[in-house]
Amino acid sequence: MAALNINVNQFEQLKKSDKPVLVDFWAPWCGYCRRISPVYDKIADAYSDVLHVVKINVDEDGGLSDSMGIEVIPTLVLFKDGEVVASVTNPPSKAAIDSFIAENMA
Amino acid sequence: MTKVYDMLIIGGGPGGYTAALYAARAGLSVAVLEKLSAGGQMALTNQIDNYPGFEEGVDGFELAEKMQAQAERFGAHTEYAEVYGADLLSVPKVVKTSEGEFLGRTVVIATGASPRELGLPEEQALIGRGIAYCAACDGMFYKGKNVVVVGGGNSAAADALLLSRVAKSVVVVHRRDNLRATKVYHQPLMNAENVEFCWNSTVKEILHGDKVSGVIVKDVNSGEEKQISCDGVFVSIGRKPATELVKGQLPLDAGGYIIADETTKTAIDGVFAIGDVRTKMLRQVVTAVADGAVAAHMAEEYLAEN
Repeated sequence: MAALNINVNQFEQLKKSDKPVLVDFWAPWCGYCRRISPVYDKIADAYSDVLHVVKINVDEDGGLSDSMGIEVIPTLVLFKDGEVVASVTNPPSKAAIDSFIAENMA
Repeated sequence: MTKVYDMLIIGGGPGGYTAALYAARAGLSVAVLEKLSAGGQMALTNQIDNYPGFEEGVDGFELAEKMQAQAERFGAHTEYAEVYGADLLSVPKVVKTSEGEFLGRTVVIATGASPRELGLPEEQALIGRGIAYCAACDGMFYKGKNVVVVGGGNSAAADALLLSRVAKSVVVVHRRDNLRATKVYHQPLMNAENVEFCWNSTVKEILHGDKVSGVIVKDVNSGEEKQISCDGVFVSIGRKPATELVKGQLPLDAGGYIIADETTKTAIDGVFAIGDVRTKMLRQVVTAVADGAVAAHMAEEYLAEN
């Protein structure tokens, strides 16, 4: 299943969940964001039991990414209990995303 | 027992997926090992106007997805794996990846090359928003605009010349006090009215909002800094082939490319090098796909004999 693109309200709800949330901040005009999308969908599949894997379009996020200081996309941000745990910008491979999750889920 | 593929292809660019297509259609079992997504450098090119058959141009990412789907239609398998190492001499050949070990009777190296970067923060993030690495690809987007070309070799000179015909102004920033480019480029560049040179200088910083708005260059002798306003920066300071994997196993040429002729055969039997990573005259999508077809053919021959 593809990683779901959600809006800010949905994100606020999701943050209250027991499961950590991984967000890909992206935009349709961003070339690197497109390159990540096929493996990001695979990540969404592989981690569906332990992690909400979603995307937020920075052009439609009502300033959320700005308020978080995200200036470069794609940036993946991991939230636990509603708080930012870690982020990674422009991961170069699926393996890099896997190890980002492994390192920060512990 | 781990499956032994007839062909392992390292890299899912246009060369890799064409090798996969031809090999799969020839009945070989094929796995493409790709770390991120199909297309390689091509996937970052929004519009490709020199791949025949698309009179309006084609989006590189979409073309890559089509090449992948076409190869997979005939049975090629894609594994999203980052390759960490390879033993090309063992039988079968072993490729170590983030997703485990893969075994292949033949290996096609299609790891590509990437433009050498300036190494400045946010450079990557600004690709497509003012930072470009290929004037032939992206030059037309800067019609009537002001651009900076960084570099002084043949490709920088060719880029500057091409851009001088399109852009309003071109400033060539080079760290030496003259061009390293062959003489054939010098006169036309010097004669072009809209080309200026900024000698003995390196780019220290990229100025930008959403898009590039200029650069700060630093004089390598005096340390003096100055600002150049521009809409685009073409970085043309060479390429680096992705050969980490085969260093010490396959001979490379002076530029670091894998030595293989038009047969794509490398120094090791059953190992083929295709596309931008191979020694060749012209690095384009069309020449990469041609290599892919040839490698599949040569691999078929090799497998028939071994």
